[in-house]
Amino acid sequence: MLSFRTTGFNGYAVKYSPFFDNRIACAASANFGLVGNGRLYILALTPQGIVCEKFFDTQDSLFDVAFSESNANQLAVASGDGSIKLFDATLNEFPIRQWREHTREVFSLSWNLVDKSIFASSSWDGSVKIWNPTAPQSLRNIYIGSCTYSVQFQPSSPTVLSAVSSDGFMRVFDLRAPEPSAEIAKTRVSPGEVLTQDWNKYRPEVIATAGVDRAIRVWDLKMPGACQTELVGHEYAVRRVAWSPHWQDVILSASYDMSVRVWTDGSASSAVAVPGTGGRMMGVMDRHTEFVAGVDWCLFGGEGWAASTGWDEMVWVWDVGGIIGSR
Amino acid sequence: MSGAVSRLSNLTSQLSGSSPRERILQKNPDDIVVTCALRSAMTKGGKGGFKDTHAADILAGVFQGIIKKSGIDPKLVDDISVGNVLAPGGGATEFRAAALVAGFPVSTAVKATNRQCSSGLQACVDIASAIAAGVIDIGIGAGVESMSNNYGPDAVSEFSELLNGVKLAKDCKVPMGVLSEQMAKDRHIARKNQDAFAAKSYQKAEAAQKAGLFDEEIWPIEVDFEDPKSGEKKRITVSKDDGIRYGMNEEALSKIRPAFAKDGSIHAGNASQISDGAAAVLLMKRSTAEKLGQKIIGKFVTASVAGVEPLLMGIGPWASIPKLFEKTGLTKDDVDIFEINEAFASQCLWCANELGLDEKKINPKGGAIAFGHPLGCTGARQVSTLLTELKRTHQKIGLTSMCIGTGMGMAALWVSED
Repeated sequence: MLSFRTTGFNGYAVKYSPFFDNRIACAASANFGLVGNGRLYILALTPQGIVCEKFFDTQDSLFDVAFSESNANQLAVASGDGSIKLFDATLNEFPIRQWREHTREVFSLSWNLVDKSIFASSSWDGSVKIWNPTAPQSLRNIYIGSCTYSVQFQPSSPTVLSAVSSDGFMRVFDLRAPEPSAEIAKTRVSPGEVLTQDWNKYRPEVIATAGVDRAIRVWDLKMPGACQTELVGHEYAVRRVAWSPHWQDVILSASYDMSVRVWTDGSASSAVAVPGTGGRMMGVMDRHTEFVAGVDWCLFGGEGWAASTGWDEMVWVWDVGGIIGSR
Repeated sequence: MSGAVSRLSNLTSQLSGSSPRERILQKNPDDIVVTCALRSAMTKGGKGGFKDTHAADILAGVFQGIIKKSGIDPKLVDDISVGNVLAPGGGATEFRAAALVAGFPVSTAVKATNRQCSSGLQACVDIASAIAAGVIDIGIGAGVESMSNNYGPDAVSEFSELLNGVKLAKDCKVPMGVLSEQMAKDRHIARKNQDAFAAKSYQKAEAAQKAGLFDEEIWPIEVDFEDPKSGEKKRITVSKDDGIRYGMNEEALSKIRPAFAKDGSIHAGNASQISDGAAAVLLMKRSTAEKLGQKIIGKFVTASVAGVEPLLMGIGPWASIPKLFEKTGLTKDDVDIFEINEAFASQCLWCANELGLDEKKINPKGGAIAFGHPLGCTGARQVSTLLTELKRTHQKIGLTSMCIGTGMGMAALWVSED
């Protein structure tokens, strides 16, 4: 297990670079993201451990980071002042571009994996916006109406994205649908606020959501309204979920209960015929000593490496396989 | 609220509130709270205590009540929105004058609001929204109607050829009684059930009045009154709803002749009364109330509005209440009291049945059938009726709703904090 201390800054998000197998970005904020500066860390995994290659300071807290899928050195951050900033890891200090359209905290960013020229942002101002890094204004504004904690592009589609928000709903949009709404599905996924979601990397209709009510729910958009699997175990709100890029049934979750948990939704087990019966927890990573806010999987090398960050000012890089034993 | 405080309260809600009910019961500095809600008595149109009183005069009385009861410095009130339906010219002029008479300084702005029977609620929602948006800090949502003075055939203006040429548009002008009669027929709402519902409204209101349950919400107002028999003019203090007929039962109601069709089911006893009255609600942010030492009696959560076919205006609550549930994540079981305006027993009963609401939770002190429906006042009146009853019964979450002429419904969610 490798670690890095983000001294003075509390981690909110960690992401692996899609281009370099040794690069991780961490978005962090002073004073637990309540007030004060933000800092974007570019971290390198080296034989000597995790080394900070570079960091960028921002005026306000940072809540999320997304690597560009088209430029190996660029990455965007979501800021508490409503701005989105694009940094270039080869440059110093200042963002190469920034956008100020959201009127409240920007809380999540998602780069499209197919149409690599666009990314999406979601904000507490109740909207989702679509951006092209070369355009000075957003391409499109999608009205949600409630504090929107997460937006995610469907990983195999250039146009489909989903948003989850404080009203307990998951909304799915298709940018090909006519203005203004583009909404193609809306499902209540929780009685409380929904804080996070992730599309399964192998099953294009499967998405996991989680939030304040502590349960992780797996949905199949072919059967909206029917929760496929409910994964229960976290003792406080779940802040982030991430499906494995290698194992189609495995999902990681980071929670305010200071743990990262590993789950299977049961879909890999051929013995299970009835959906919703095979989900179970496979392990707990308990090295964090404060709220865990970010978790991500490594796309490269041996299966099962992950990184997590939290309010304990720590980034941990660890082998999920070591937590769950050999599969 | 500053950025840090809002982020902290957001985080707090993520950590604590797991159910929508818990979330709604949380107290945050940017909540829109009620520190005073009161009303005049509701009196019979043309006969009751306010029959010789102008709408603006009743309103001025209620404004004075708000100032006295809450102890608010009138200078601090930025804006007043007054719901009203029938006043010629919209009422804006005399309502502004009424505010000045009541003791508000020239710096307190006043406007009139008209969304038919939900005007009083719309006024409260407008003020709450303006506070939430930072447009104003403190405001009053109010409502008033003198049906004695302003109700009659002139209440609806003539339609142009253009409007009359479109069926749906023309439907907007069909009188409430006529369309409700049709709806009762179409939706098979039997007269017997309507009468039973209406009788209960009278009985509940009678019991509530006798127990003094309205005394806390009613602000007594002194007015001129001409005795219809002797012609003698005198000053009276109006402090009781005078439309509540005692000893009313289903059997007595079953003998009343239908008002809108020979074979109809709707009559004077199972429809709302024509009345006079006013009500007002003082609203501000929780942080403001705490700073001023205002006693918080409740919280405004949110509201919804829905459109329906003009001829089915009675189903408005059925359309608007689920919207409120969808927004808040609550279910009907989370709500302790429903104040649903009894425009007609038929439509109120149909909505309650269709939504599967518990009869015991609806209008526990009776409704407009028993004590009247001064159109523009009702929405604001419901707030004081609801909050006093929630407080008395130590319950928490209440909902107010009404159907709206021309085919709409509104609903709002309130929390008692006493």
